[in-house]
Amino acid sequence: MEKHAIVLGVIGADCHSVGNKILELFFTAEGFKVVNLGVMVSQQEFINAAIETDARAILVSSLYGHGEIDCQGFRDLCLEKGLDRILLYVGGNLVVGKTPFAIVEEKFKKMGFDRVFPPDVDLKKAAELLKQDIKERFGPDSQSSRDNGQPAGPDKSNPEAEASAPETREPRG
Amino acid sequence: MIKNEKLDLKEFYEIRKEVLQTWPTGQNVSIEEGIKLHRTIPEERRFARVMKKAREKRQTLLQPRAGVALIEDHIKLLRYLETEGQADLLPTTIDAYTRQNRYQEAEKGIEKSRQAGTSLLNGFPAVNHGVEGCRRVVESVSRPLQVRHGTPDARLLAEITLAAGFTSFEGGGISYNIPYAKRVPVEKSIRDWQYVDRLVGLYEENGIRINREPFGPLTGTLVPPCISIAIGIIEGLLAIKQGVRSITLGYGQGGNIVQDVAAISALRELAEEYFRREGFDDFELTTVFHQWMGGFPEDEAKAFSVIALGAIVARLSGAEKVIVKSPHEAMGIPTREANAQGLRATRQAINMVEDQVIFKPEDLQFEVELIKAEVRSLLDRTYEIGQGDVAAGTVAAFEAGLLDVPFAPSIYNHGKIIPMRDNEGFIRIFNKGNLPLPEDIMAYHRQRLQERARAEGRAISFEMVTDDIYAISKGKLVGRPK
Repeated sequence: MEKHAIVLGVIGADCHSVGNKILELFFTAEGFKVVNLGVMVSQQEFINAAIETDARAILVSSLYGHGEIDCQGFRDLCLEKGLDRILLYVGGNLVVGKTPFAIVEEKFKKMGFDRVFPPDVDLKKAAELLKQDIKERFGPDSQSSRDNGQPAGPDKSNPEAEASAPETREPRG
Repeated sequence: MIKNEKLDLKEFYEIRKEVLQTWPTGQNVSIEEGIKLHRTIPEERRFARVMKKAREKRQTLLQPRAGVALIEDHIKLLRYLETEGQADLLPTTIDAYTRQNRYQEAEKGIEKSRQAGTSLLNGFPAVNHGVEGCRRVVESVSRPLQVRHGTPDARLLAEITLAAGFTSFEGGGISYNIPYAKRVPVEKSIRDWQYVDRLVGLYEENGIRINREPFGPLTGTLVPPCISIAIGIIEGLLAIKQGVRSITLGYGQGGNIVQDVAAISALRELAEEYFRREGFDDFELTTVFHQWMGGFPEDEAKAFSVIALGAIVARLSGAEKVIVKSPHEAMGIPTREANAQGLRATRQAINMVEDQVIFKPEDLQFEVELIKAEVRSLLDRTYEIGQGDVAAGTVAAFEAGLLDVPFAPSIYNHGKIIPMRDNEGFIRIFNKGNLPLPEDIMAYHRQRLQERARAEGRAISFEMVTDDIYAISKGKLVGRPK
């Protein structure tokens, strides 16, 4: 089956890179085609990458507290650029200061995010939710709306993504 | 090609003209006025002076991190940390937009913070507040005040804050680039920090000693001591060359007590050695130990324990300063109350171990010698590839991966080395990438990692690294399998 593309990145002026590298490894292992934009990504860069790769979801990380400012208007910009079905996830330390998670969640859901995660989220659970959400929004065998179910092109359904994942085992010892 | 040479004053002033034009508050910044202001600052508020005294009296001074968007609120915050937290040294932590020179966005953050009645910025936007605003902060506190940030190009920030009376400035051309930026060439950031150091040197020439502190912990994530120390020494050398005289070199807690104490010893001894080797002997060298910079437990009781261990090891290591965390670390920016709690917990732990030494001297000496041998191989190769010049060598070394910081965001960093903990929690190097570490040393690292693999009944794998990264926030030092 074709892998679903998801776009990953840390928004704004945030340079927290450790979690980002781990998310890339994790979601690749979970069978997604991960398009990782790394740190300091603008809303426009997220959206461009999602359009180019026909992504099902954008996963936004923010750990430095400016998430509230950086994420404003994200959903509107998606709609404006024609991404009317894309799933928007956000997670991390999203606001300045210790705040009950329910308040943070409500704030970001109002901004149009489909799911909001605290920094200690169980990644397995997040991946399950993502698969479920993709199925619900795009249908059970959601094919790209652009190529009418004709998987073509060298990068589709080949094991490249797996092969390019960082080595999990070193031969030396 | 960049060289470790003192920046020519004429060139300095040419660059300065451009730097001051990058934001309106830069327009009237005057070094002369700054010098005049510094002359009025009493001794107990001069950072370099207080650090030097700490070394003489064998003290470990406490400093938190703190910064909010608005001037009045920032002053209240610092005063609270001074009175309720009993901080010895005060910070002004700069927000993330300013760190990327995105002053327009910082302006928006100030505006939105005013509307919201609370800080929406993660620090103090010093450039936007300008010399006048910063001076109000300096005049409102009674402890030495330092700018703490993460800015690859900190030239304007330095001009403004030093002119406003700050007496210490954190950062360096490597340590504030590789872990804090995505696409800033190493040569560019080294050049921009030569400017900052030259500025500090200018104040020095006028009798004003400003303390400089390279950022030791780098990515704060399983950084092997040799990498942090080699980079700290390079930044110290670059700073001294520009006329800096008061230098505090840093190291971030790794977690194994023996390795951490050994790292501070190795740092101090080798910095002295390499500074003298370049012909300098009139510097004031001190060290700073950062409490755990990786992920923290959410449970505040557990977080206090991480803080207390950091305090204890800072004291045992003999570092002159400890940077203190708060029990809110897992959730991001702390309230002032949480921040003061971190300071009080640290004080208590430090007081209780002040005069103790608790481990076998031979174990400690072994680690000191190991780290020193590693640092020497990194630094000597850096000099070699720079044909004797440490600045040129650093740029070339990052290009070739001879210097390499794990988990860093910068595209100018190789990111090939794989560190992980051994069975006792020492940070060892599994895959050295292109680091020029000798084979016998690597064999030792691998032997120690094999001990862990055997104990855990699994092969050495990348999974161990991710387990290690989250281990402390989940309650353990070493990330064991479930």
